[in-house]
Amino acid sequence: MENKKYRITGLAGRLILGLAVIVALVTIGSIFVGVRTYRASTHRHYNDVAYQVARSAELLFDKEELENWSDIAVEYNTSGTGIEEIARIRESEEYLGYVEAFTDLRRGMDVDDIFVGAVNGDEIYYILDTDPVEDRRFNLGDRSGIEDYISDAVRSSWETGIPYSGYLLHETDYGLNITAVYPIVYDGRTIAFIAVESPMRTLESDVSSYIFTVLIIVCIITVILFVLTAFILVNLLIKPIKTISHEAAYFVENENEISENLRKIKNHDEIQVLAESVLKMEIGINEYISNLTKVTAEKERIGAELNVAAKIQADMLPGVFPAFPDRKEFDLYASMDPAKEVGGDFYDFFLIDDDHIGLVIADVSGKGVPAALFMVIAKTLIKNRAMMGGSPSEVLAYANDQLGEGNEAELFVTVWFAIIEISTGKGIAANAGHEHPALRKKDGKFELIKYRHSPAVATMPGINFREHEFKLDPGDSLYVYTDGVTEATRSDNVLFGTDRMIESLNKNPDADPESMLDTVRADIDEFVGDAPQFDDITMLGFKYMGSEESPLA
Amino acid sequence: MTINKTQDGSKLEIALEGRLDTMTTPSLEEEIKNSIEGITELVFDLKDLAYVSSAGLRVLLSAQKTMNKQGTMTIRNANEEVLEIFEVTGFIDILNIEE
Repeated sequence: MENKKYRITGLAGRLILGLAVIVALVTIGSIFVGVRTYRASTHRHYNDVAYQVARSAELLFDKEELENWSDIAVEYNTSGTGIEEIARIRESEEYLGYVEAFTDLRRGMDVDDIFVGAVNGDEIYYILDTDPVEDRRFNLGDRSGIEDYISDAVRSSWETGIPYSGYLLHETDYGLNITAVYPIVYDGRTIAFIAVESPMRTLESDVSSYIFTVLIIVCIITVILFVLTAFILVNLLIKPIKTISHEAAYFVENENEISENLRKIKNHDEIQVLAESVLKMEIGINEYISNLTKVTAEKERIGAELNVAAKIQADMLPGVFPAFPDRKEFDLYASMDPAKEVGGDFYDFFLIDDDHIGLVIADVSGKGVPAALFMVIAKTLIKNRAMMGGSPSEVLAYANDQLGEGNEAELFVTVWFAIIEISTGKGIAANAGHEHPALRKKDGKFELIKYRHSPAVATMPGINFREHEFKLDPGDSLYVYTDGVTEATRSDNVLFGTDRMIESLNKNPDADPESMLDTVRADIDEFVGDAPQFDDITMLGFKYMGSEESPLA
Repeated sequence: MTINKTQDGSKLEIALEGRLDTMTTPSLEEEIKNSIEGITELVFDLKDLAYVSSAGLRVLLSAQKTMNKQGTMTIRNANEEVLEIFEVTGFIDILNIEE
């Protein structure tokens, strides 16, 4: 079944093949059943005819005479006496009349043979026979063995006097025969039996023509079924599926343009459901794409804004070095490397007046935009308050109160804040929960200065921040940092730690702040390797040179 | 980190085991948020806690602030390392730490 436009696919081919197999099986089955039924009914018919002939033959007999002949035939065969009697009867008008009547009956009923006999053991003693072949025709008193196929039937009907109920089929040179065995009962005993051999000449040719007819009909039905199936497959299945597949390809190739052809499939079956689903999916994809485009644009916009925010944040930290090129009494350097776009770490330094410099390093708890906003406020508050004058504890107390107000996010900030008198090197620091600073005395090594810290800024209202006094001599260096340094983590979860940090600082204790920070940063990078940076890394180095002009130096 | 909660009426004891850092803190924050309502006595058992980061401190601080309004909060069995963190960060002043 070929169609110019729509080739039958593998699925359709398999369906048709399956159909052909089913049709073949049904054909074979129906032929088998048909032939069986036909044979059974034919057998019954011919069997009935044979018994009708036997009954007709029985009616021809004078039973008394038949009994007499039967007894003579038995007597003759068992004791050898009565040969003259048999010869006489054979020639008698009566006996010849019977033979003629039976021969007429055989011819009239179109059967092969009718014979009458008596049974004794394995033998038949013939009384009368109408076999059309003279050589095979028995006469009164003749004997023969019982043929196997009728043996049981003959003996059982002889003993019981009841006609045999089964079919006695027998293959002869002229075709299949069916034989009726019918006992003749007289005065309570079986005196003889009549056998009628009826040919079933028409049977086999009838079966052949039956099979032929069935085959022709089945072939016609099969061809019609093929045509119908192919037509149904092509029009109801393959055509719409091709349309769906074509429309799907069209959708992909034409930048998600939805064609209306899918809506035209109105099969009212699963194909239509499929077409509708594909259409729904295409519409869904388009909606999703347009949504995604919107979201992506939005994300890009937010990303761009975050970048601007990060830039603004970075610009808020003093970033020009040397920061105070005309101040020879000290040198300082600071850096902040954020982990995300915007972070919570910050450093700051500013001259409060000609003789005082403020140094700040801080770390807001948390990350991202909230931490960054908090950081901006904290940095501004600390610097502004410090510029108004006041000790570090006063500045942090102020920042603490201000930041604590309405701090729903419960953020806080650890701060190390020191004010150093430039002319003398005397300093006052307040440490609100921040890391220990590292100090290096002239010609010595960097060491952590440990003392008890105050709580972080914005943790609780009304905190009193402790102050810690110290003094820098010319040549001393100060290094402060955030936990991004000590908690820089290697891929096997080992932290950089304060020991490695101090070791790194002591590689060249006398270095200027910039190269000091560079060394630490390089060591962190080497330690961490490919592991991602989780936290902001912020450091501030301050080296005190003292004032040569100062009388106190 | 593992969090073991034992509640007895309005008393809640939370035992922490492992490291309370940026990665593990959110789960503790969630646990506290879910169970702090109606609690008048909150106890943190830090016997098996090895480390507290600033993120962990923030959650403890937040719990302390909540408990200031509805009852008491106590931290006990902190090891030396964790105690030092409390000390350095000044949290020793604002948390009720049993030594």
